[in-house]
Amino acid sequence: MSDRLIKWLLWCYLGLLLVFVFSPILTSVIFSFNSDRFPTIPLGSFTLKWYQTIFDDPDVWSAARTSIFVSLCTATLATFIGFCTAYTDYRYGFRFKGAYLALALLPPTIPLIIMALAMLAWLSKLGISGRAWSVVIAHTVLCAPFAMGIIRLRLQQIDPDLESAAWNLGASEWSAMKTIIVPFARPALISAFCLTMAVSFDEFAVAWFVAGLNKTIPVLILEVLQGTTDPQIYAIGTFVFLTSITLVIIAQVFFMTRGRKPTAPA
Amino acid sequence: MTDKKPFSRRQFLRTGTVATGVLAAPMIITSRKALAQAVEINMLGWYGTAEPDMVAEFEAANNVKFVPKYYAGGDNMLAALAQNPPGTFDLIHTDAEYAQLLIDSELVDELDPSDYPMDDLMHDDFRNFPGHWKDGKLYSLITRYGHLGVSYNKDAVTREEAMTYNVFWDEKLKGKVGHFDWHLPTLGQMSLLNGNNDPSPFDIDEAAWSAVQEKTLSLKPQVGGYFDFGGTFASLKNGEMLAMVGIGDWVTGILERDGAPVSSVVPEEGGIQWTESYSVVSTSTKKDIVKKYIEYTISPEGQVKSAQMLGYPGFAVTHGGRALLNEVDPAEAQRTGQVDGDPNDPVKLISDGRIHYRKVPAQQSLEDWNDFWSEYKNA
Amino acid sequence: MNRPDVYASTWRLPVIVWQCLFFVGPLLFMIAVSFFLVKNYRMQEAFEMANWSRMMTRGYFWDAYWYTLGLAAASTVLATCLAFPAAYGLAFKVSESTRRWIIFLLIIPFFTSYLVRTFSWYVLLAESGVVNAILGKLGFGPYTMLNSAFGTLVGYMTLTLPLVVILQTLSLANVNRSLIEAAHNLGAGRMRTIFTVIVPSAKVGLIIGAVFCFILSFGDFVAPYYLGGSKPPTLPILIIDTTKSGQQWPRAAVVAVVMMVTLLTAAFTAITMAYRKRR
Repeated sequence: MSDRLIKWLLWCYLGLLLVFVFSPILTSVIFSFNSDRFPTIPLGSFTLKWYQTIFDDPDVWSAARTSIFVSLCTATLATFIGFCTAYTDYRYGFRFKGAYLALALLPPTIPLIIMALAMLAWLSKLGISGRAWSVVIAHTVLCAPFAMGIIRLRLQQIDPDLESAAWNLGASEWSAMKTIIVPFARPALISAFCLTMAVSFDEFAVAWFVAGLNKTIPVLILEVLQGTTDPQIYAIGTFVFLTSITLVIIAQVFFMTRGRKPTAPA
Repeated sequence: MTDKKPFSRRQFLRTGTVATGVLAAPMIITSRKALAQAVEINMLGWYGTAEPDMVAEFEAANNVKFVPKYYAGGDNMLAALAQNPPGTFDLIHTDAEYAQLLIDSELVDELDPSDYPMDDLMHDDFRNFPGHWKDGKLYSLITRYGHLGVSYNKDAVTREEAMTYNVFWDEKLKGKVGHFDWHLPTLGQMSLLNGNNDPSPFDIDEAAWSAVQEKTLSLKPQVGGYFDFGGTFASLKNGEMLAMVGIGDWVTGILERDGAPVSSVVPEEGGIQWTESYSVVSTSTKKDIVKKYIEYTISPEGQVKSAQMLGYPGFAVTHGGRALLNEVDPAEAQRTGQVDGDPNDPVKLISDGRIHYRKVPAQQSLEDWNDFWSEYKNA
Repeated sequence: MNRPDVYASTWRLPVIVWQCLFFVGPLLFMIAVSFFLVKNYRMQEAFEMANWSRMMTRGYFWDAYWYTLGLAAASTVLATCLAFPAAYGLAFKVSESTRRWIIFLLIIPFFTSYLVRTFSWYVLLAESGVVNAILGKLGFGPYTMLNSAFGTLVGYMTLTLPLVVILQTLSLANVNRSLIEAAHNLGAGRMRTIFTVIVPSAKVGLIIGAVFCFILSFGDFVAPYYLGGSKPPTLPILIIDTTKSGQQWPRAAVVAVVMMVTLLTAAFTAITMAYRKRR
């Protein structure tokens, strides 16, 4: 098979994959403008009433505030913890390192529904459940390993001699960190921040259990889904989608311009 | 597992606490601000009961704000209550058979019957609803009810066919029979089909209980899925399910308003009644306003709101409520038979003995029923 | 290390403290909860085997266990196979900036609600839905896609596929190009190069992708509930059912502990495989 044909097939395949990924998103956008109370085809008429509904609903606004607060705090904490862990793994060998890494990386191996159960039981025992920051705590546990993974992959590409060269030139460990490691890892830090924020923003199982009455947007959606399956969930979904996509584009532009430093030789 | 480095653990704990506190500050401040505006009534209820169509008018008139936590199924309500610290909720909207459990656990306050138009209630049973009274004291106030029978898609099943629960076993409904995912309504209907109607489909001995289980299991090949509140609506609406066990007009009524070809009947074997009432939580600090809301729900205006509720409609329990409904929304009153003298008048169905109140099982534990339900779903 | 190394500790400790407090703590406590008792809808601290012996002897528990395991395994194989051609294309056949943009597109789903997407599938896959309408125009169907294992798998793919593609792409892109050149120069065909050079060198990333897929599918309750119609229920649905019914948290904890043990075993095996004979 010629290279051209292969390339063409791969493009088609990628296209199909993107269709699969985007068709539910597109569907939700379309039905958010559909007048019918229940989403079925053929479509009814064009309407903005579902947007009007959510715009007028103070619950949606307070859920949005809670969600933004939770995801920003989570992303900050998780990226910090993830970076610390990734750097430790990259830089040091020590006794019990296996156990250390296991401790750091295991949370995603625990299904959310189990984390939800365990978190609620534990946080209520400590008397700190039912708050917005209960969700931050739980989400940070869930997200930090993702941050660690992304940052670790980036650190992998660093020339190991670079840091020691800096020390030999008299730089302290702290200043080597500041001048070499952090700038090198910056694109990964930004993607880690974005990704953990995204994970936190879309997480509903744990938030549903531990947030009490402090609903986040996904919990609100879950309640509507369990309740009336009103098209306002599509409107909320679309609104959230547009907001966050703007954020991602900003992050991506930043990533593209600052991230194009020469990487480690292949 | 313990930390291997105790020397700095405390320090980190402290920094951690401080950091968390700092992070939490803006949230606490913002939520305080919201609190200053209106008194918040934290309510535990079935979906839709604290949506704007139900409460906005009361909120505006009394400068309060409802903060709902929704559940589906009484067991779920008990779980939500236990999972949140005492004092979280002020008002509980619940099914009658679970109100009884709340009363037995001493979680809710006594109500004063003279606050409510007890004489205006449409049926004697409503005045002395089982489980709402204890030692001659009223703890929970009935506000709405509905009947469960056979819900079906009119394009696939005729009304005559739907007049018996046996329709669920019809060959043409294979894979198209849906379940509302809760044991009580379905098993109650299966019990009625087995002829257990005296004294109640929920008061059956071990032999009858085994027979109910067997009957239920024989329905398995027909079953297309188990749905929560939302899934029930969606799957009937889009034709994915052509008949549903364990529901009634509370689902099809909404779908009919939207033009779907669905309907519900109370079949020959009889129907089950769901009954919803309000209780005030003992640990609430806002009892006065909460009681005021309960009064509102049984006023004619509140009853009409409940009959027209967007989440799911409930029948009016008072003559006053019915009269006002006939005045402002005669179409809805006629559709649901809430017209004096209508052959499908829900109150008449009760008086005719066609309706059985949903209860928690009398001779088995709730757990046995629930356990069987898990087994059935996995069968 | 005799004296405390401040620099090293600064990086090492945060995760230890945080995870002990908020990860190990809750999980150990949950194991303890599995021995608690429930009386009158209230949990009481105790040490009884009642919950364990009850759940372990229930046929429906084991049915749900094997069904969930099988479905999650199917999902993992499916996602890994579906993602690979795409990741391969992205890693080797497109320019760096195209790759960035497509990865960016694949990240978008993370920013949209999984619940909303699942419910969109509900509309798309319904018997009277969009997909059947298109198939009908082509002279096929209608097919029953909802309330079946197929529906559940579509949901699982919605959840996992973008992530698996991204993880695979990242690891494939890191494969040393000179190795591939060398393989080509030695006359290895495309397929042979893929399976003898590329896959082994990208093994870690591929396995990590698969592990994540398995975990996410194994623990997801949305797809099997909304798209699979709980027919039959999976373990996560069983957990929710159990917590909902009569406050039976200890029994839910039993299910959770069994799930956890299963996943840890699977993940450890996979990770060990991934890191064995590396370099």
